[in-house]
Amino acid sequence: MVDVALKILLHDRLRFIITVSGVAFAVTLVLVQVGLFLGLLDNASITIEKCNADLWVTSRNTANVDYGQPFPASYLQRVRSVPGVERADNLIIWFTRLNLPSGATELVITYGLEDFTRWNLPWVASGGNVQDLRRGNFVFFDQSARKRYGQFKAGDYREFLGRRMKIIGETKDVLSFTTTPIAFMDFHVLQSLDPLELFDRTVYILIKLAPGADVGQVQAQIRRRLPYNDVHTRSTWARRSRNYWLTTTGLGLSMFVTVFLGCLVGVVVVAQSLYTSTMEHFKEFAMVKAMGGGNPDVYYILVKQAVIAALVGFAIGAAQAAAARPAVTGLGLKMIVPGWFFLVVFAGTILMCLGASLVSYRRIAKAEPALVFRG
Amino acid sequence: MNATQPEPVLRAEGVCKDFRDGRDTISVLKGISLTLTPGEAVVLEGPSGSGKTTLLSILGCILTATSGEVFIKGQRVDASKPGRLAALRRDCIGFVFQQFNLFGALTAQENVEYAINLKGASGSRARKEAAKWIDRVGLAERRHFLPQDLSGGQKQRVAIARALAGPSRIILADEPTANLDFHTGRIVLELFRQLAKEHQRALLIVTHDPRVRPITDRTLFLKDGILTDATSEST
Repeated sequence: MVDVALKILLHDRLRFIITVSGVAFAVTLVLVQVGLFLGLLDNASITIEKCNADLWVTSRNTANVDYGQPFPASYLQRVRSVPGVERADNLIIWFTRLNLPSGATELVITYGLEDFTRWNLPWVASGGNVQDLRRGNFVFFDQSARKRYGQFKAGDYREFLGRRMKIIGETKDVLSFTTTPIAFMDFHVLQSLDPLELFDRTVYILIKLAPGADVGQVQAQIRRRLPYNDVHTRSTWARRSRNYWLTTTGLGLSMFVTVFLGCLVGVVVVAQSLYTSTMEHFKEFAMVKAMGGGNPDVYYILVKQAVIAALVGFAIGAAQAAAARPAVTGLGLKMIVPGWFFLVVFAGTILMCLGASLVSYRRIAKAEPALVFRG
Repeated sequence: MNATQPEPVLRAEGVCKDFRDGRDTISVLKGISLTLTPGEAVVLEGPSGSGKTTLLSILGCILTATSGEVFIKGQRVDASKPGRLAALRRDCIGFVFQQFNLFGALTAQENVEYAINLKGASGSRARKEAAKWIDRVGLAERRHFLPQDLSGGQKQRVAIARALAGPSRIILADEPTANLDFHTGRIVLELFRQLAKEHQRALLIVTHDPRVRPITDRTLFLKDGILTDATSEST
């Protein structure tokens, strides 16, 4: 069978390039934008996901993990007394001010715990032992902080709220949604840095359940004992933290609009291009009908053209998105494109191109075979 | 029907065609009757606007008559539904046009092969048959040329090969030499006639071109919607 669809596409190479470019643009935009957003969302909950706490006690209506409010640290005792709780510890996550050697001041999200390794925080550390944080005014910085704070190494000192703290190691991939760098220090040291807010207080209580304990029952017990706090499972807390950025801030809407506009550009370019091509070959399609072909024979050509444009455009778009990944990483950002999303974009690209060719179908349906007699 | 005469492959009886123009009705064809037998070549002449192309469209199952009957291979087709008419065009009729109407993106041979594909054959069978017809019209050296790289005469040869390829027993040609110079037109016509006769195809050529008469068996003349046999005038 002569591949009329492909032959027509390749016959007008410039138009084919324009069509494919439109598709590739939309695919790249969607993959990169959504990939970046998913990367940021991953940051928004990565510490919750990596920490091995089964339950988190937070202050009432805390929206996300970075914005917790303090409550009495003594609540920890009430939690520890609940049957089914194997271990519970206080955790402070707090914005502190950091003075840089340059004289500039930056914010840092500081995690304070007594025993980090027990809770798998941080999950990748190098250059020092996390257990040493308990010994005094010591801090671990995440590698990503260099972008904001400049170069540092183990043995350097930095001022946190006026106190000199020694850097004794680095962490990796501990990131926040806002890209504010994260540091780790001892729980009591962090309390003492901001005594007005944090004296005798904590921001979260991490809970590890005993083997066989019923999550729902333990959660209900803790809620009874801490009626002015919230108790979340790891998954609900992670989802809540992500949803905050998605819904409350309008970032989700902004992302949706960007993706929508990207797709719209793709649809318009493909529709315009296929329609122009259809009109240029209108008489040839009428000839197909004059030779005894029907609408399905012509639709087949249009569908195949749309699918070819989608496949080639998707391949180029996906390759461009993959090529953008190192540049994105160089900017200290993460791009996450899960397999399912890749498939969704692939299917979406095919549907987008088929949808874009609908205008052409309508026009072709009206093509009369008698047109072939006109000069 | 005379027993010695071959069965007509195309027969029209009292075909009329009216078009509405606002409140007016214009009768373009007024009771046309004609027959075409296999291997026969007939030329249809007439002034511009006399209804030649309309008649060709009705005989080619592209338009339907207002009244009258059309038979193809003995079967009445004038009251058929669009799908049946398309099937008749596919299986029984080949067209040749003044404007060639070739696919610009397909080579000479692919243009013929695609027509064969539409008629139901595919793969190497269609390719071989297309190659055979391209050879028959003398374009073996140019089989892989696109229409834009062929001369007018060569394009018309491709169109002739496309019309003759496959099972079509009736070939309808609308001004096939109008876009060709005198010499080329003559060569193309002779080739057309020879191949149609050789393969027992009934050929109806609508034209103004006086070169066509000598190569045909009969001449029909259409004027004001009325068809007359003008064969005697041409002999």
